[in-house]
Amino acid sequence: MNPTPSQPPYPLSNVAALYSNGDDATAMLDAALVQRMAKGDEHALGALYDRWHPLVHAVVLRIVRQRDDVDDVVEEVFWQAWRQAERFQTARGSVQTWLLTIARSRALDKVRALTRLREEPMDGVAGDMVVQLAAEGDPAMDAEAEERRTIVLAAMRDIPVEQREALELGYFGGLSQSEIAERTGLPLGTIKTRMRLAMLKLRERLQVLRGDAR
Amino acid sequence: MTSYGMSHEAAREALAALALDALDPAERDAVQGHVPQCAECRAELASLREAASELTYGVAPVPMPEVHRNRVRSRLVARAGAEGAPASPIVDRPPVALHRHTGEHRHSDLAHGEAVDRAPARLTPASLQIMIPHASQPPQLSFWQRAVRSPAWWVAIAASIVAVSSLYSLLKVSTQRDTLTDAYQMAASDKATRRSVVDSLRLVVEDRDRVIANLTGPQVALVTLTAAGARVPAARMFWNQPVNAWTFIAHNLPAPKAGRTYQLWLVTATEKISAGTFTPSVNGDAIVHATYVLPKDALAAVAVTDEPAAGSPQPTTVPFIVGSNSGR
Repeated sequence: MNPTPSQPPYPLSNVAALYSNGDDATAMLDAALVQRMAKGDEHALGALYDRWHPLVHAVVLRIVRQRDDVDDVVEEVFWQAWRQAERFQTARGSVQTWLLTIARSRALDKVRALTRLREEPMDGVAGDMVVQLAAEGDPAMDAEAEERRTIVLAAMRDIPVEQREALELGYFGGLSQSEIAERTGLPLGTIKTRMRLAMLKLRERLQVLRGDAR
Repeated sequence: MTSYGMSHEAAREALAALALDALDPAERDAVQGHVPQCAECRAELASLREAASELTYGVAPVPMPEVHRNRVRSRLVARAGAEGAPASPIVDRPPVALHRHTGEHRHSDLAHGEAVDRAPARLTPASLQIMIPHASQPPQLSFWQRAVRSPAWWVAIAASIVAVSSLYSLLKVSTQRDTLTDAYQMAASDKATRRSVVDSLRLVVEDRDRVIANLTGPQVALVTLTAAGARVPAARMFWNQPVNAWTFIAHNLPAPKAGRTYQLWLVTATEKISAGTFTPSVNGDAIVHATYVLPKDALAAVAVTDEPAAGSPQPTTVPFIVGSNSGR
């Protein structure tokens, strides 16, 4: 398969194999760490932090956008993981998904708190900027995460810009469909359709990460 | 199936937005009322949530500055260590064997993949009792009888318990103190570095704030440019009118030919004003910033033309991507 701008430059079947193996090892290590955290091992918390802080930090920074507040939010993300480690169930998802969900949630909480504090409407996020900035890359990140990011970015590029914008304003901007409609001046029905189509296309493109392409 | 006044079809249509947490409260409640009763929607929602969570992987990891990273880590481990300490001595713990190592063993050894419970076996009055040599053997009974009648023996036992308990507490507090001290010293010793980092970050943040303001300000006008082609270029011009800032963002642009470049134009009824030349990245993305004063109603269109590398005073080719200013 020849590479194209919208597809990863390698056979998709190989990528699926890479992730089916890599994910297993990663999931086992992360699950073991969370298990230790549940038993009160603070050093396991430190190890989990070492593994995931760059991505958690990036997600928090992406949403909060104010450096002064980022450290506190990152700390609260891992602290919540520590407090809730006992309740974590591998059957409900991977540790990284759990952690990044907490990260997004805490970051949006911070943005909303800051917005209330300033008594001004929450800034939207320029969806087009996300891919542009993310595509600049970080040579220090490990190969597996880099591959994963490449696939996600390729999937995002395959989504029409207006659909992607609705998706990103919802996910990273924390805006509801009504808020997005109000902000963009578009009918609510248009936003709903765009968001749904974007999500369906995103899921379809990302099936390769789970090796279960249908 | 209906629940909370919402049909299965309507709920299914809304699952994508629910996965993004983008539903308005009333609709969210209605969908969430339906999902637990519908296996199909539960599976669909789980699948969509998994896909949504992958969005975070599209964000380039940004390592924290070392000082920040270490400070947060130290605080976390110290907080966890302080909370993880028992509130009171464990007096009901089953007696430990004499050969068991009774020191503090909470260090992870991830490299060896150990996953056993290494919670510390704490010294307690109960465990101390079995450290008395041969306590239950008949030949020692006469010794015991003598010992238990001796006040000095009991004083010695009590003193031992107090001493060992105090030693354990001291070690625990000392460990926590060392952790906090390390964190403090780390922060203090890197003051100059931190100031430098803060200064550089401030510049980054100011630059990013400026970009964000120019894209999302309340008086930003938006022009969407379109073109035909196999891989369709798309672009938007954000015009932040109060500060006369123009931000042009484009995707899927083909690379210009050798010796050529792209030139951006603000088109009014009477003239075509150059907003600068640019070359897209290898991915076909481009961002152009410009500052130009233009009356609010003067902009008719935004266009991009293919020009010689040095640019042109006026367009020399037909715009290959153009958008009219129809307002927001």
